[in-house]
Amino acid sequence: MPKVNLTIDDRKVQAEYGQTVYEAATEAGIYIPTLCHHPALKPEGACRVCLVEIERQRSLQPSCTFPVSEGLVIHTSSPKVLEARKFVLDLIFSERVHYCMFCAVSGSQANTQCELQQLGYENHMTHWQFPENTCADWPVDATREYFFMDHSRCILCRRCIRACDDIVANHTLGLMNRGIHTMIIADANAPLGESTCVSCGTCLQVCPTGALIDRRSAYMGGAQDITETPATCVACPVGCGIEIVTRSNNLLRVEGDWDAANGGLLCVTGRFETCEPQADRVTQPMVRNGDAWQEVSWGEALAAAANGLKGVGSVAGLVTPRATTETLTAFKALMGDALHSDQAGLLYGDTPEVWGARATLQDVPAADLLVVVGANPLEDQKVIGYLAKRAADKGARIVVVNDEATELDPWARQRLPMSQIGDVAALVAGAHKPVVLYGVGLAEDVKAALRSLPEMVRFMPLYTGTNAAAAAELGLSAGPVEAQALYVLAGDDLPKPDDGHLPAAQFTVVQAAYRSAWTDAANVVLPARVWTEQDGHIVNIEGRVLPVVAATTAPASVAADTKTMADIAELMAR
Amino acid sequence: MSDNNDTKEKVTIASDWLCGCAGCHMSFLDIDERIIELVQQATLMSTPITDLKHPPESGVTVGILEGGINNSANEAVAKMMRERSKILIALGDCAVFGGVPAMRNAVGIQAALERAYIDSESTVDGQIPDDPEIACMQLTRPVDQVVPVDIYVPGCAPSADAIWYVLTELLAGRMPELQGKTLDWH
Repeated sequence: MPKVNLTIDDRKVQAEYGQTVYEAATEAGIYIPTLCHHPALKPEGACRVCLVEIERQRSLQPSCTFPVSEGLVIHTSSPKVLEARKFVLDLIFSERVHYCMFCAVSGSQANTQCELQQLGYENHMTHWQFPENTCADWPVDATREYFFMDHSRCILCRRCIRACDDIVANHTLGLMNRGIHTMIIADANAPLGESTCVSCGTCLQVCPTGALIDRRSAYMGGAQDITETPATCVACPVGCGIEIVTRSNNLLRVEGDWDAANGGLLCVTGRFETCEPQADRVTQPMVRNGDAWQEVSWGEALAAAANGLKGVGSVAGLVTPRATTETLTAFKALMGDALHSDQAGLLYGDTPEVWGARATLQDVPAADLLVVVGANPLEDQKVIGYLAKRAADKGARIVVVNDEATELDPWARQRLPMSQIGDVAALVAGAHKPVVLYGVGLAEDVKAALRSLPEMVRFMPLYTGTNAAAAAELGLSAGPVEAQALYVLAGDDLPKPDDGHLPAAQFTVVQAAYRSAWTDAANVVLPARVWTEQDGHIVNIEGRVLPVVAATTAPASVAADTKTMADIAELMAR
Repeated sequence: MSDNNDTKEKVTIASDWLCGCAGCHMSFLDIDERIIELVQQATLMSTPITDLKHPPESGVTVGILEGGINNSANEAVAKMMRERSKILIALGDCAVFGGVPAMRNAVGIQAALERAYIDSESTVDGQIPDDPEIACMQLTRPVDQVVPVDIYVPGCAPSADAIWYVLTELLAGRMPELQGKTLDWH
């Protein structure tokens, strides 16, 4: 494709055919301010902040939507452009109540998290020329649990709508009315909490102002106060790239990493639920004294654990699949080398079986055929579900093979019972980029039918335990264990309400971050670290090794999980 | 004192507060020892925290108003300050934009009065004051919706450095141009 020659601010610039003036200028290092534009979203041209003067054009043009063509002469900061930019900002500031003094994202020029306020500063605005209508009663929608919408701060940039449409493929948000009566709405003007919104928070992440606000981290720190740590979400095996936002060793919120395979997209679990504070953190080792718990020193607790494990016949171990590969390795060593147990398994969930060519996250929205066998991604691996819906938006055929209903059924063109798994071969034969998403615990004949599919098919196992793939590689089993003594590494995991019981044993050691039904069943409880306090790796559903990065420091009394297990192993060897 | 004072007429400054929290005046005082430098070059004619409360009829060089306008008394004070000042400064977010007190505009005057004087949790048998000598409540407005403003100094409150910058620029005979660290709406 030939390059296009432009002149921007008297500089000769070459651009790719199909680029916009904004993209060409940005690549050439020429700054054009934007509000409605976002690199992860399609251009919209809604805010007019990026207006530029293009010679031989009748009026100023939005650079974010104007395509480049040969010989364009563009001025990005002529007096006419600067005047128009300030006028546009005057209008945006005046339309609703943009009072920075009580807004959660407001700050000084260095500290603000509001792109509108930043532009006000950049343009040296000390006030705005049109008085806003402070009498208008702009609605606040706080019907969702984790984040709310304050329409008085909304500038109608439509970033949230585009994020909901193009990134999440959920199509909840839209516009109502026209002109100054325009409002962002959910569905047919339903309260957000009662709408089809899935609370993934992608709109929250792209909102340029304080119109969408995270409840937990509101007013808790500006751009200069916070630390952002790139890491991996450990809520499920998708392994989404995240930024952990902290301040003074406190977890504020989680944001999606735009540059990771998930492209900024997260789900309600990874973005919000994982930040919820849990009660009853175990910060001191405890031993059971009759019905009461007694806090003891690490030395006493480790000795009690080692003595108890030595004093009984057989020992079995259970470990949370949320543990890092490093922790799982230490757990395996403890169980095998120190405790001589042949029973080391996962606390819950199955270990995946993998075969064929592995699908990447990018393969899912790019597929033209998605066969979902015995899995419910919109419930269990939500981001994969959203990517599948994105594929459906682009015309991909979704076929759900399941004997039970799944959340993805409304997007499926075809539903097959498991008994008709043989039909998949014919479907795949007609596709160019087929991807099979399959669950765990499939019948042998179903697995055999999938394994026999042609080589071009890409496979993605949909299991639930975050690091179950690494556990499988290490030879940890999924099945139940039975022994006289039990060593449980629960980490920061909590029992599901309907499944809180550990196998019965005479002596149980639980290494856990929080008190729960699991620790209630223990004789010795050892503190464990929570997910933000750990360094290590996980293996995700693509088979990629991803870094788990500590963003907060554990309480001084909570040792690293691997150290605790090494200490017990040493005591066992004596 | 410098010899300048004998030959040149001293700049005069007056200030007052309207519907604000006095925070901007506190920030003004936060210029700390620089206030000595200020009074060497200018005379503070009247402020809400000194003995004289009203700007002199003969007028001042610079008038400073903190707070928005939310009743008939504020309106009168703002008009007097405007009439008697060559240069009028709107100091702080309330004076510039309406600020926090303007939040009540959305509920309306009557509802705001009822909430404050009748419905509030600590009130028993309350009544809305109606003495004719009390100023009439109005919708909260920024100063420039009542009288023309020459210089806007936003901020909640504007920093002492911003206030000092504005005053020293004026003393040097220049119009201040707030930007960078001196421009902070926060």
